[in-house]
Amino acid sequence: MSSMNRRQFVKLAGGAVLAVGALPTIGHGKTKARVIVIGGGYGGGTAAKYLRLYDPSLQVTLIEKNKEYISCPLSNEVLAGDRNLDSLTFGYGGLKGHGVDVIHDEVTEIDPEKKTVATGGGRQLEYDFVVVSPGVGYRWGAIEGYNPSAVEAMPHAWEAGEQTLRLRRQIRAMEDGGTVFIVAPPNPFRCPPGPYERAAQISHYLKANKPKSKVIILDPKYAFSKQKLFQQGWEMHYPGMIEWVGGHQDGKVIEVDPKRKLLVTEFEEHKAAVANVIPPQKAGPIAEKTGLTDDSGWCPVDPRSFESTIHSDVHVIGDSCIAGAMPKSGYAANSQAKVLAAAIAAKASGKRLPEPSYVNTCYSLITPDHGISVAAVYSIQDGEISGVEGAGGLSPLEASAEQRKEEALYAHSWYRNVTADIFT
Amino acid sequence: MRIGKPRIGLLIAGLLAAAFVGADEPDGAMLGHTCAGCHGTYGVSEGQAPVIGGMSKSFIRKAMHDYRSGERHSTIMARLARGYSDEEIAAMAGFFADQEWVSADEDLDPKEVKRGKELHTTRGCVGCHGPKGISSSPLTPRLAGQYSEYLEIQMDYYRDPDTAVPSEGIAMRGMLSGMSDEDVAALAAFYASQQ
Repeated sequence: MSSMNRRQFVKLAGGAVLAVGALPTIGHGKTKARVIVIGGGYGGGTAAKYLRLYDPSLQVTLIEKNKEYISCPLSNEVLAGDRNLDSLTFGYGGLKGHGVDVIHDEVTEIDPEKKTVATGGGRQLEYDFVVVSPGVGYRWGAIEGYNPSAVEAMPHAWEAGEQTLRLRRQIRAMEDGGTVFIVAPPNPFRCPPGPYERAAQISHYLKANKPKSKVIILDPKYAFSKQKLFQQGWEMHYPGMIEWVGGHQDGKVIEVDPKRKLLVTEFEEHKAAVANVIPPQKAGPIAEKTGLTDDSGWCPVDPRSFESTIHSDVHVIGDSCIAGAMPKSGYAANSQAKVLAAAIAAKASGKRLPEPSYVNTCYSLITPDHGISVAAVYSIQDGEISGVEGAGGLSPLEASAEQRKEEALYAHSWYRNVTADIFT
Repeated sequence: MRIGKPRIGLLIAGLLAAAFVGADEPDGAMLGHTCAGCHGTYGVSEGQAPVIGGMSKSFIRKAMHDYRSGERHSTIMARLARGYSDEEIAAMAGFFADQEWVSADEDLDPKEVKRGKELHTTRGCVGCHGPKGISSSPLTPRLAGQYSEYLEIQMDYYRDPDTAVPSEGIAMRGMLSGMSDEDVAALAAFYASQQ
């Protein structure tokens, strides 16, 4: 304790005290409700922490198979060479400090009738509420030939870690003048601006090291997130280097040949030096297995509590849930987790659910000094999570160089703050 | 049973009334927790977005109103502030004002801090911002322990005549316009160094 400075103390110990003080209507009931959180990423990590902040009497167990979490946001900077994976890696000690019981194991089954969770390690745990936050699953085979074994030759790197490094190695090994292909997924998918930021970050490396190379984005979509801002930034910093081929230009990849690094569209075959294939997505495997998904492949939920509309007392947050107008982003998952935590705390002590408020802010980096953003404030309107009219929107196209630099500063600041909000 | 009935009736009426009042009052914690992604848990920022936990309610409220109206320039805050009613802004401001201020943890050059302190005194900043960058007026923001880079950006806004700044700080335009980048950096370092 003596070595702990005041900052750490407030964050660890004071946080819970402050939470109770700040929330006179919540946290008085000695509920002892048992909450199991499945998945320790942006959604699940935040949920575990904020459940304890909202009601320290809740027994919160986080089940996460990995000992460490590697952040996908900011991992495109690893491809640029500006960042290493260590700076994206977090342990679960901070959550334990909040009184969360952290179990490193893999959930194999959720039984919504018996209200139990079974794990690969042989555990059988009972819950009053379970929170499912597994991220995304992949529609293997939706692109013919793109199956789990294809990721060696054609990494998706849509979860940060070994695949991020593999993609970086491939780009570094490529000869100057080669073409890096990014195959973008159809909507909806995790991190809508991600593929386009990735194009910029790869180009940032190529411009300095392999200036004759190109980046081509093959995309089934007709438009994409922050499109004008990205295209402006690409032209400004990497003129002629990045080409976007949309759905209207035969951009939809229908088949791949990992061995030959071939990408096949309806009318063409593209030979890639490096192929980053980001496959079509759906809810994470455990959500699908538990029957929490509808025909869309994603999980319908009550926006007030994120309780599944299919199974009661099972809640789904983050990428896997259908959250109205909110994108599948780290910030959105973090924001949803807090609404969920307030709702479960209220339910557990028999109180009325609070009126939710949600925020999303997504920064993207064109260069280390050129940031762009999209933001929105959400509330429930007509039963759905909807953007508050008149609020939100994009960075201005006519922003000054100083403003773009400030946005880059705040992008990095966001990363420090949001990860501290989850893991410390 | 006969005695109990009206009591239960009253209780139910009371609960309904409480629920009704509750529905009309924005929840400061619900709103304030959405800001943590950029400003840190309870407004304790890891930098360089400003620390807002522990600022005065009046100042946060005024800042949000100024962002919303466009009176104060920002990169992103105007887009977010437009999402909230007066009542919601008041509730969020109350939530952050209730938190303990935790100063930025920065490595600062002691020479720069010393020079900044001199400027703070000789250029008259002390008049409104107090000896340490903590004002007695709740509408004047706390500078002590704020991130230096953030403070520099804000001072640059005042130095640029085309950037919108809050009217009550308009005197700072004249005071800062004669200063060099180095002076502004020194001032920021001094404020950041204070607790």
